[in-house]
Amino acid sequence: MNGTEEPGPLRVVIAEDAAIMRDGLTQTLTRRGHQVVAAVADGDSLLRAVSELQPNVAVIDVRMPPTHCDEGLQAAQAIKRDHPGVGVLVFSQYIETRSAAELFAGARGGVGYLLKDRVADVGDFIEAISQVARGGTVLDPEVVRHLLTASRRADALAALTPREREVLSLIAEGRSNTAIAETLVISPGVVEKHVAGIFAKLGLLPSDNDNRRVIAAMKYLQS
Amino acid sequence: MQRRSEPTGSLRTGPYAVTMRDAWAWLRRHPWEADVALAGAILVGSLGQATADPLIGVVSLALAAAVVARRKYPLQAFAVAATVAALQVTYGLTPAGGYLVGAWQPTVADVALAVLLYTLAAHTPPRTSVAGLGVCVALSAIAIERWGPAHSAHPLDSILAAAALLGCVSLTAWVVGESVAYRHRAAYYASLEARAAQLEAERDAQARIAAAAERARELEVRRARAVDQSAARLRRIERDLHDGAQVRLAALAMTLGEIKENVESSADLAGDGGRTQMLISAAHRNAKETLTELRDLARGIHPPVLDQGIGPALHSLAETSAVPVRLALDIKHRPSPAIEAIAYFCAAELLANVAKHSSASKAEISVTSDREGFGMEVSDDGSGQAALSPEGGLEGLLERVLTVDGQLAIDSPAGGPTRITISLPGHA
Repeated sequence: MNGTEEPGPLRVVIAEDAAIMRDGLTQTLTRRGHQVVAAVADGDSLLRAVSELQPNVAVIDVRMPPTHCDEGLQAAQAIKRDHPGVGVLVFSQYIETRSAAELFAGARGGVGYLLKDRVADVGDFIEAISQVARGGTVLDPEVVRHLLTASRRADALAALTPREREVLSLIAEGRSNTAIAETLVISPGVVEKHVAGIFAKLGLLPSDNDNRRVIAAMKYLQS
Repeated sequence: MQRRSEPTGSLRTGPYAVTMRDAWAWLRRHPWEADVALAGAILVGSLGQATADPLIGVVSLALAAAVVARRKYPLQAFAVAATVAALQVTYGLTPAGGYLVGAWQPTVADVALAVLLYTLAAHTPPRTSVAGLGVCVALSAIAIERWGPAHSAHPLDSILAAAALLGCVSLTAWVVGESVAYRHRAAYYASLEARAAQLEAERDAQARIAAAAERARELEVRRARAVDQSAARLRRIERDLHDGAQVRLAALAMTLGEIKENVESSADLAGDGGRTQMLISAAHRNAKETLTELRDLARGIHPPVLDQGIGPALHSLAETSAVPVRLALDIKHRPSPAIEAIAYFCAAELLANVAKHSSASKAEISVTSDREGFGMEVSDDGSGQAALSPEGGLEGLLERVLTVDGQLAIDSPAGGPTRITISLPGHA
């Protein structure tokens, strides 16, 4: 995804209770010229830091003290409610489709939900953070895979060509047409044709807005 | 020949023995009729004397009546007979005709007195029967004295003979009665002893049952504690993995990812640089794969979504199921974490079975949970024929369910549908 526009330095808040991961993320982001304005270890500190510092994006672990359940998710929803302009990227050891759905339900954009393992591909992870900071939408391929496997719309999905299914997955992950074209090594025109084909076959309203596209795809797969 | 097969057949040596034995047995079975027969015999015996003297008839009737009543009222019957005898002695009632023993002669019906003394000895305590014997001996003495064999030709012989006869009759009746009473008492004591022994055995058995029940309760409590502890331990292991190994490995993978990117952007790809890049890529790939494996492992140990309850956990399962699942959850009361874990793993295994074997188009999980317990039914519209088999998935589920005294029922006819019902207690 090197072809996307080069973003300026981001102001990032990190909420992660494991120090090693917190420090690692801080160093990685800092090395790439971004500014980690706060690195906290629980939900309350996160909410304070966000309202005081108004960062571009908050990177949030789902499980944090005190209950180690879904504090991060709840904090992320609170942030989207109180500070819609702040992007939230929630990352988790396990992905739960429900959590993703809850997170995406109230947001118009600037949300992401990724498996924690994705930090291993540093470039992609930083790119996801930037995308969310810019108001984009990022959904973990694992969630998309689950949605596709468990979708009640198996018949409609069967009507898609393998290529169209691939494109649908990438749409659901929050990729732009440009990004999809790069990933699949095809021309943007071909991507547009595929997207139009998919939306027509599934009976979805076409949308130029990537976020709305993701949410439409997700809702479709979940329903 | 045919009778030989009967257990008592060999004892029947002749028609006479059979008759006697049968008569005896009949008498034992019908004591009332036997007494009536005896009374009848006394009356028949007295017939001659009674026709000579009506008063003797009255006496005979009274004595015969006492014989009939002897089993039910041994003391009263004896008292009546003794009174009648005393009246005989007092008023000098004596049968007409020749003297049997000197000047003295009792009536035929006086035999009843011996029978009643026997009855007294057999059925009343020894003190009473000794008194009865005393009365008989006294009456005999008075009778002998009043009708005075002393005035006969050989007074001493007559007195001795009369005393010997009457004394012998009384004493024999008493001794025979006492021996019967002794036999009865001995049998009674033996039965008491047997009963006591039986009671003691019963008490021992009850004590053993109580001890076993107590032990069962104790084991149940321990089992519940063990099940809860094991669930808690699994949860802790998952959390330790999450906070420890998984996060460290993720950090390591991130660092490797960074190194990989650095090397890719800067290194001279020829020679050693290329080899280093390859090694780093391999290490990076390994780290990522290990992360995935570790995640699956931790999730198999304790799915974190269970911490939010069995409801959200089942929703999460249903969402990832390859076969569409309808959920009908009625959870009024959350069961204990150990029970939730068992229910979750059962549901997961059953849904996996549905996807793998049933070729079903849809499945349903319905749950009712209240303070009484936890019930879950997993059904599908597939081809049926799900069954327990050693090493099979269902067998494993049954094992899990049995650890908390739960139940698992399979209803899966050929051609479907399949319905698996699991009942679990609210807590282990």
